[in-house]
Amino acid sequence: MILDPILYLIAYPPLWQVLILGFLGSLAVAMVAIWFERKAAARVQRRIGPYWASPALGGFLNIIADMVRYVLQQLIIPGTVDRLTFYVAPIAAFIVSILPVIFIPLSSRPEFWPVASMDYSLLIALALSTLPPLLIIAAGWSSNNKFAVIGSMRESYVITAYELVAVVSILSASAATLTFNLVHIVDAQQPFKWLIILNPIAFLAAVLAVLMSTSAFPFEIPESEHEVVAGPYTEYSGALYAFNMGGAYVRRFVYALIIALVFLGGWAPYVPGPGPITGYVIPSIIVVLKALIIVLFISFLRAVYGRYRLDQALGAAWRLAIPLAIVGFGWSLLLAYIGVFH
Amino acid sequence: MTSGGLEAGGQIPGFIVKKIEKEVYEIFIGPQHPGSGHMRIIVRLDGDIIVEADPDIGYVHRTMEKLSEVREWLKPIPLLERMTIIDACNVTLPYVNALEKLMDKKPSTRASYLRVLLCEINRVASHLYGMGIFGVFIGHSTMYMWAFGDREVFLELAEALTGARLTHTYPIPGGVRRDMPQELPGMARRAVRYMRRRLEEYRKIFVDNPVIVKRLSGVGVISKSRAVELGIVGPNLRASGVKYDVRIAEPYEVYGELDFEIPVFEEGDALARTWVRVEEIKQSLNIIEQAVNWLETHKGEPVIAKEDFDKLPKLHKEVYEREGRVKFVPAHATMKIPAGKAVARGEMGRGEIFYYVESDGGITPYRVRVVTPSARNAIVFKHVVPGHTLMDLPAIYGSIDYFPPESDR
Repeated sequence: MILDPILYLIAYPPLWQVLILGFLGSLAVAMVAIWFERKAAARVQRRIGPYWASPALGGFLNIIADMVRYVLQQLIIPGTVDRLTFYVAPIAAFIVSILPVIFIPLSSRPEFWPVASMDYSLLIALALSTLPPLLIIAAGWSSNNKFAVIGSMRESYVITAYELVAVVSILSASAATLTFNLVHIVDAQQPFKWLIILNPIAFLAAVLAVLMSTSAFPFEIPESEHEVVAGPYTEYSGALYAFNMGGAYVRRFVYALIIALVFLGGWAPYVPGPGPITGYVIPSIIVVLKALIIVLFISFLRAVYGRYRLDQALGAAWRLAIPLAIVGFGWSLLLAYIGVFH
Repeated sequence: MTSGGLEAGGQIPGFIVKKIEKEVYEIFIGPQHPGSGHMRIIVRLDGDIIVEADPDIGYVHRTMEKLSEVREWLKPIPLLERMTIIDACNVTLPYVNALEKLMDKKPSTRASYLRVLLCEINRVASHLYGMGIFGVFIGHSTMYMWAFGDREVFLELAEALTGARLTHTYPIPGGVRRDMPQELPGMARRAVRYMRRRLEEYRKIFVDNPVIVKRLSGVGVISKSRAVELGIVGPNLRASGVKYDVRIAEPYEVYGELDFEIPVFEEGDALARTWVRVEEIKQSLNIIEQAVNWLETHKGEPVIAKEDFDKLPKLHKEVYEREGRVKFVPAHATMKIPAGKAVARGEMGRGEIFYYVESDGGITPYRVRVVTPSARNAIVFKHVVPGHTLMDLPAIYGSIDYFPPESDR
């Protein structure tokens, strides 16, 4: 049949993983996160928040209207920017932010997630998730604006603080379960041997790293409005700014997915069965819900905290988070030695 | 053309010419910057450390002193209160006091209590405004929203008392424009109770928030001697351990008869300045309670000077009896004030305000000179900010509660 290769190309699972889950899913989660962030902050601050666009939905359509506005807005490109980098960096950062999703399994059934069940999926997903900050720095640098440059420099400082924490604390799951395969990591945690219970120290360090890496409060330092306007994104407008802003939420979601798999047991205690519903839909929903809880928790912190100073954030990372991550890693080695998972 | 002049060693009048230093990164914060307000701060950075900060003020200069000279005596009051629209009674009261000194007129005690009541309502609203702006400067949006929301309570109180939320134009030479409405004491007591409860919540979410404490303690430290040397005023001075407040140092109106304390902190850092404001709000609430109690129990006295009241025509007296509102006779607006000079001081929310008023016996002032607290606090940018990191700039700016329109006049 001539249609078979075409059908195979169209139905190629990794493509669907990126397109449906990666792009649309991340977009949906980003919208929910932005909506929740505005609504929850409004509740704490005794306001109403988004409302009039759709009173029945709590103003959710307001977020969609905002996105439409961003896309249709005039794109102002200052004459002094480095044009190629200025265009490419935010788009590339957004794409690279989504890429780790290919390697994140949402089910243990290999027929639905052929790529994700490879043996080094955790390592590759982590490695890919460290790329976007470099592109953000490039975006700031190409803007040829002093505030953007300062924001980029801050971003690069903050990278040195959280990168090690993120990698060590998340890899402590591998140390405990003796595998880099995310499917095996989740299977090892069945049904309730979740690493958040067995190794809360590493979980804490991982959440701290996510807070820093996605510029969430109290570490919203590179974009700190009252010194550097919008940091690396100062010169951006319209759709390119939306890519920049959405990229941060997507990265937050991707990290949350990894943490949901590694620490919150992924689809555990559910065991995926055969067929698309039991093997695909239900475990995906469980994982995404777990990730969403983390994303919403991070969003809520905006209403509670101010922002740390740059040196205090770096100090907190090197004095507190990195020792925490290393202790968490050691604790995982201990778990492996005792043989909790085997 | 100008460069030719500069090469020849010339200077453009009014410009500071500086050699560009390598290794120093110069950024212009403001006037169109989310963290600058109506001013520009020229900051020179070495890495992340500020080596020089230059406050470039004057963007909202409105020639208020000069405009006062072409207005009849009463008309500068609504003009001058636009200097600090959030603290309108405190900013105009010393001007009225100076006129009273020139006219040798004393307000009735009831009028004095009413003025003090409005002054303290203004002070609470002004501190809440400052704390809200401060909150958003260091990324705490909840503090911003809470403070601005609770400020509304005191604006409504002021509206009930004077008829206007911000531009009250309440004190006039010899008294005030309106008596207290019947329902005000109850409103004021409810507002005081509410605000005391809210201050406890402010402490939990903002002043004792670990992130905020870490961010503010030890930042922008002004020692006692340094504070005196720089001549800063108001809560910033008292946060550095100097117990100075015009309300105590030179009591005006009825502040001498009221029971309140001047909160003083020794640390002199941004956190202490925040605490001074919180404590001052508490003291202002006490004063509001005392003033309302006194006003409720001492009724009957007119709210303008007795000699003015006696001169009023019968219709105006009827209006006063019915509505508690003083209706001016046209002659009042074009009154002449005996030649002479007078000075008066007052304690605004941001510190001491000073007026010098000179009359040549005409229907307008010959000279009105204003020295506002923000004009005196602006020096902090130049002398305290250098040595801190760029991220400390909003923390210091917010903590000194600098208000450019007030400084620029």
